[in-house]
Amino acid sequence: MLRSEKKSLVRFLVIYMTSTMVLFGIASLIFYRYSKQNIIEQQQQNLKYEAKHLLSKLRHLHQSHDKILYYPNPREYKSAIYDLNKNYIFGSFGKVIHYDAMCTDDKVLVYKEKVEPYYLGSAYMLLSQPLNQQAITKLHQKVLWMMLIAGIFFSILGYFLGRLFVAPMRESIEKMNQFIQDTTHELNTPISTILTNIEMIETFHPHINHTDEFKRIEIASKTLSIIYDDLSYLKLNHNYHREIIPVDMASILKQRVIYFESIAKSKDVDIELIIKDNITLMIDHNDAIRVIDNLLSNAIKYNKIKGSIKIVLDTNYLSIQDSGIGIKKEDLKLIQQRFQRVNSSEGGFGVGLDIVGQVVSYYNFKLEISSTYTQGSQFTIRWNI
Amino acid sequence: MRYILILLIFININLFATVLDEKCLKCHINQKIPSDMIYRKYLLKYSTKESISKAIYKYIKAPSPDISIMPKPFFSKFPIKPLLNIEDSELKGLIELYIKKYDIKKRLRLQHDKQ
Repeated sequence: MLRSEKKSLVRFLVIYMTSTMVLFGIASLIFYRYSKQNIIEQQQQNLKYEAKHLLSKLRHLHQSHDKILYYPNPREYKSAIYDLNKNYIFGSFGKVIHYDAMCTDDKVLVYKEKVEPYYLGSAYMLLSQPLNQQAITKLHQKVLWMMLIAGIFFSILGYFLGRLFVAPMRESIEKMNQFIQDTTHELNTPISTILTNIEMIETFHPHINHTDEFKRIEIASKTLSIIYDDLSYLKLNHNYHREIIPVDMASILKQRVIYFESIAKSKDVDIELIIKDNITLMIDHNDAIRVIDNLLSNAIKYNKIKGSIKIVLDTNYLSIQDSGIGIKKEDLKLIQQRFQRVNSSEGGFGVGLDIVGQVVSYYNFKLEISSTYTQGSQFTIRWNI
Repeated sequence: MRYILILLIFININLFATVLDEKCLKCHINQKIPSDMIYRKYLLKYSTKESISKAIYKYIKAPSPDISIMPKPFFSKFPIKPLLNIEDSELKGLIELYIKKYDIKKRLRLQHDKQ
């Protein structure tokens, strides 16, 4: 799966799963509250039924001529009776319970009823029993299982929907990759021929070497060669075997500056080098060239006529600063994506910074980009972090 | 001093109890009308001691079948009680004593106390 495809799929799944689970969560919550209310009401109904029993017993007691009147005290519930002013008369709580102080909560069910006529003087009765938690615990488990099953179901569904969602994007990326593969394959021979012949002309016909026409051919060929190298790098990236060896960065940097000299001269761009010698990095040679080439190529490409480039190589970093067009703040995050070009005034495929980003992340380096729009940009790669 | 006060209260209550039996309950006993039953009737209708007390006071002050707790057919068998010549304060004390005597709370027990 391609990186961008994976990213889109993850984004889609996060949005899809979050919204689905939030909606399902709300529905489950409503279901839970409704079911819990039903359970409580059912238990309350039972208590109401017991209240009718108690009332009948109070009537019997009221009519009884016994010296001692035995107030009902079943195990299932506790009860108390109150006069018209809600003063406590008697009850089975074992203590005086105030009529208005007791209400149904998460643990206790309370049922209150008016009594008429006032058997034993009672105008109100209060019944209470602990809430049967078993049914509520079962409901908890049911809702949790529902959430779990729905979570699994929606995850699977989301994955397949996501694949469908990114399919057009995958198709177009594959087509583009295929096009690049075909293009690089077809460009290989002509570019090699042109570059070999330029070298031969430089060796055997030095008088032609200094003409403007020849310089332009040389610049165009080098630009083509860089594009070809970048595209080949991307094409082979997954199967590319890296040979990580100590690479002298100062020497490689000087070589690449010489290589780009003719291109820089075509725009009258001045290159200032502040290079510390003997800086060695454990890196694949081709990776080092790709990073330097891309940063240098961009610094020239997006520079102004008669602009400047400052290259600094120090123990812990390489920095390439240009006086070019700069990058808008909102575009800074986008520029590292493949095929992304925030400025369309210059040609290219938009793969340069993607390659730099890939190399930097492979070696656990850090790429810092700072830019002021219309003033210039600075790209710094830090190692030993 | 405290003991004397308690003793005086005790004597006073007993004295009142004797007056209650003499002035109120004696007729009920003679006519075989259980006072407990009458109190239950008051309880069934008025619920609170204050309301019962007011209802009894009102009836004793002006006895009439219309305000009696007993049903009207009762008076075809038993005559309406004669007007009592008792001071208000004494009457109120006697009513209080009557309510205390037949207070239902004193007779109520929890069912497990029976076992």
